[in-house]
Amino acid sequence: MDVAAFDVGLLQATIARALRRGGDFAEVFVEDRDSLGLRLEDGRVEQTSGGREVGAAVRLLSGEHTYYAYSDALDEAGMTAAADAVAAAVRVGGGSAVVDLGLVRSDPGRHAVIVPPETVAIVRKAQLVRAGDEAARAAGAEVAQVIVGYGDTRQKVLIANSLGDLMYDDRTRTRFTAHVVARRGDVIQTGHETVGGSAGFELLGESTARAVATTAAQKALVMLDSRPAPVGAMPVVMANGFGGTLFHEACGHGLEADAIAKGASIYAGKMGEVVAAPIVSAFDDGALPNGWGSQAFDDEGVPTQKTLVIEDGRLTGYLYDRLRAREAGAAPTGNGRRQSFRHVPIPRMTTTYIAPGNASADDIIAATPRGFYAKSLAGGQVEPASGNFVFGVAEGYLIENGRLTTPLRGATLVGNGIDILMRIDMIAADFDVKTGVCGKDGQGVPVGTGQATLRIAEMTVGGTG
Amino acid sequence: MFDILDAVLERARAKGASAVEVFAERSTSRRIKVYRQEVEQLTAAQRRGLGVRVFAGGAVGHAYTSDLSDGALDAVVQRAVDHAAVSDPDEFVALPEPAGAPADVHPFDERLTLATDERRIELALSVEAAALAADPRVKTVEDTMYADGDGEVFIASSAGVRGSYRANQCYAFAYVLAEEDGQVETGYSYTVGRALEELDPAACGREAAERACRLLGARKCPSMKAPVVLDPFVSAAFFGVLSAALTADAVQKGRSLFAGREGRQVAGEILELVDDGTLPDGLDSAPFDGEGTPCRRTPLISGGVLQGFLYDTYTGRKAGRGSTGNGLRGSYSGLPGVHPTNLVVSGRATPLADIVAGLERGLLVTDAVGVHSGANPISGEFSVGISGVLIEGGKLTTPVHEVTLAGDIISMLTNVRALGDDARWVPGGSILTPSVVIDGMAIGGT
Repeated sequence: MDVAAFDVGLLQATIARALRRGGDFAEVFVEDRDSLGLRLEDGRVEQTSGGREVGAAVRLLSGEHTYYAYSDALDEAGMTAAADAVAAAVRVGGGSAVVDLGLVRSDPGRHAVIVPPETVAIVRKAQLVRAGDEAARAAGAEVAQVIVGYGDTRQKVLIANSLGDLMYDDRTRTRFTAHVVARRGDVIQTGHETVGGSAGFELLGESTARAVATTAAQKALVMLDSRPAPVGAMPVVMANGFGGTLFHEACGHGLEADAIAKGASIYAGKMGEVVAAPIVSAFDDGALPNGWGSQAFDDEGVPTQKTLVIEDGRLTGYLYDRLRAREAGAAPTGNGRRQSFRHVPIPRMTTTYIAPGNASADDIIAATPRGFYAKSLAGGQVEPASGNFVFGVAEGYLIENGRLTTPLRGATLVGNGIDILMRIDMIAADFDVKTGVCGKDGQGVPVGTGQATLRIAEMTVGGTG
Repeated sequence: MFDILDAVLERARAKGASAVEVFAERSTSRRIKVYRQEVEQLTAAQRRGLGVRVFAGGAVGHAYTSDLSDGALDAVVQRAVDHAAVSDPDEFVALPEPAGAPADVHPFDERLTLATDERRIELALSVEAAALAADPRVKTVEDTMYADGDGEVFIASSAGVRGSYRANQCYAFAYVLAEEDGQVETGYSYTVGRALEELDPAACGREAAERACRLLGARKCPSMKAPVVLDPFVSAAFFGVLSAALTADAVQKGRSLFAGREGRQVAGEILELVDDGTLPDGLDSAPFDGEGTPCRRTPLISGGVLQGFLYDTYTGRKAGRGSTGNGLRGSYSGLPGVHPTNLVVSGRATPLADIVAGLERGLLVTDAVGVHSGANPISGEFSVGISGVLIEGGKLTTPVHEVTLAGDIISMLTNVRALGDDARWVPGGSILTPSVVIDGMAIGGT
C-alpha cells in the first residue's frame, strides 16, 4: 500500500473514534519503513538483512495524560482496535470531533535525495563495504579485525491529528560505519568512524568509504602506542566533531522539555540565566540540510527549526514536543520525535552543537602547557537531574608544552554539565558534525552532534596510570 | 500461524531455495507510566511479523516483514533470496538441523492474562507512593513504570525444525530523585515476575528511595587503590558487559579478551558463572532459542577457571561442536546472534555485614554510570563514573560521587575475593548476582 495515498476517510474516522469518550487531542501516525543493512566482518559480507515494517499508532491526549496504542496492521481492523484501546482508557473530557484534513507534503528539496538507495543494486552497496575493509587492512599490519557496515532506510510517514493537520514526509537516510581492532601482542585497541545523512546513495562514494575506514584504522593503530591515562584535574581540549557528544549528553538532555517539566534537569527554572561561559552559544537544528538528525517535520508533524538554546552564555531555549509545549504555554520547536510507530513521541535533540568561535585548533593546543586532548569520545552517560556525566575517551593524547605527545588509553572524563560549560575558555573555528544514534526511554533516534575544537579550563580525567 | 510459516516455506521452495527457515512472533504488551499519582502514559500494543533466512551455497540472506499478506510473503522470500546472493559464502554457514526435544521450561503464567488495566495502574501508583513515603528528602519520582508482555514465537524450517511457545513477564521500575541542601542524587529499583502477584511494589519504591537518599551529602573522595564492594545492580552491569566476550562469536573474530584462555584461571577461585536458559524464575528462559535449538545450562567460569563459551549453530560448527542454545533473536526483524540467556553469578556466600565489617578501608559501589560506554569489551579496559558509600574501620561512613573506577576486566575478575549473601535478579540482561568484593581497584577522585 502507499502511505501517501492513505484513505483520508479512515484517518478521520479513527481520530473521531479515539476522541468519542473524551480527550482533547488525537493523532494517527502511519509509517512504512523499508531498511537494508549490510555488515562485513572477518573479510566477509556476512549478514545481509532488510525488510519492511508497516504500522499505525493512535495517540490520545487528555490533560496531561497520554494514551497510546499501535498495531502492525494498516487495515481498518487494526486502526479501529487502536482507537478503541485509547478511547477505553480515557476518563474525562469532551466528545467527538470531526476534522477536516488537508494534506501537506514535505518539500522534497529540503533534504534532497539525488540517488535513491533503492535504485542502487545491492551488489554496489556490498562493493562499498568491501572497499572499506580493504582500505582499513591496508592501513597497517597490526589491523586485526575490521567491521564495516552500510545501512539505508526509507521511512514514509503520514501524521493526521484533531487540529486538522495532515502531514506527509518521505525520509531517506544513508550511513556507513567502520570499526577497526588493532592488536600488538596482548594490547588490543579499537577505532571507530562513521558518515551519514538524510541523503541518498550520493553521500557514499567508494573514496568516502575508504577514507572513513582508514580513519577508523588509524585511530586504533595510534592507540597501540598509548599508555594509561593519568588521573586528576587538568585542562581538557576537546577536538571538533565527536567532541560534540559531550555537549549532547551533558547539556542537551537537560534542555529537553520533559526533563524540565519534571524538575529533573539542572536547567529547569534557569531561563535567561548564565549557564555557560560568555563565549558559548549553542543550537539545536532539526532543519540542517541533509543532516543525519534532520527531517522536514518532526514525528508530530511540526516543522523542524533551528533553535538557539544558549546565547553568549545565557539559557535561551528548551526543546519541546507538542505535549510539553502545551503544558508550558510555549510553541513546539519540532523536537517531538519517535523511533517508530511503536514509540510515543517525546522531546529529543536533532543536531545539537556549540557554535564555532574564532581561534584555531593549533592555537588552543599551543596555549595549553599541560593537559589532555580528547580527539574522539567513546560515548557516555549523564544524569540530567544532577548534570553529572561520564565519558569514555576512544582516542586521547597528553598535551605537554603546547604540543600533542603520548597517546593515552583508558581515560574517562567526569564532570558536571554546567561546571564544564562555565569553564570553556577557548573555541576554534573548525566546526564539524558527527552522526550517532541517541537512546532515551528505550527509543533510538538519529542525531548529529557537533562543535569546533574547544578548551575546558579544568576537568577531571579518570585513568589507570 | 504455522499455516503462514508453511506458506513461506512453500514459496521459497518454488523459488528454488532449498534451505529456508521462518521465525515469526505475535505479541501484546502494556506499558503504564505514572507521575504524581496520576497516569501519565498508557500504551497498548499489538505486534506481529516474520523473518526469513535463506541459505544458498554457504551464504545466508535475511529479510523480514510485518505485513503478512500474500503479496508481502512473496516479497519477503524474494528479498531473502536476493540478500543471500550478495553475502559471501562460508563453509560453516548452514541451516540449523533439529537438535532434540525443547527444554522443559514453561515461561508463561496464566495469572498475568487476567490482569486488568485498573490493577496495573494501581500497582504502578503503589510503587510511586512507596517511594514518596519512604523519606522526606524524596523530591520526585521521575519515572515510575509498569510494563508487561505476552508473546508467542513460532519457528519452522525446511530441515524439519518446528516449534512454538508462549512466554510472558511483567515488571515495575522506579527512578527517584532525592534532594538535600541543593544536592540531587538518584536511585532506582525494579521488581520482576510473571504475574502481578509476584511483584513487590512497596519494596521497589522504598528501595529506589533509599538508594537515592543514602547518596545525599556525597562528595568526591581522595584517589586510592582499595577494595570495592559492587552491589548486585553494579555487579550485573559489569557481568553484562563482560559476557559479550564469553560468546564464541567474539572469540572467533578476535574480539574477546578470553580467547585462548579456556582451562585457565581467569577469576578468583570463589567465582562461578553459568549461563542457564532453563531456570524457572529466569526472565530469559525458553524451551528453545531463535534457531530452534533447546536452551540449556552452560558453565562459563568454575572455581575461577574458564570452562568454555556460548555458541549458536554457526559458531558451533566453526568450532567443531554443537550450539549451546544461545542463538537469540531480539525480534522477528533481527538475525540470531550469540547472546547469553540468564547469567548466574554464584560462589560461597559471606553475609554482607561481615564483608563490610572486615574492610579497614574500601568503597561500596551502588551506582556506576557509563559501564556500557566506559568499558571496552574487546580490550577489557574500563573506566566508569561511580557513586557509593565509603567503608572505614569496618563501617559504612560517608557517601561519595563523581569519582571513577578504572581497571581491566581480567585483573578485576582475578581479584574477586568474596561474594555477598544478597543474590538477586537484575533485569536488563537477566542476571542473578550477589554483591561482589574486589581487591585493589583504582578509584580516581580528588
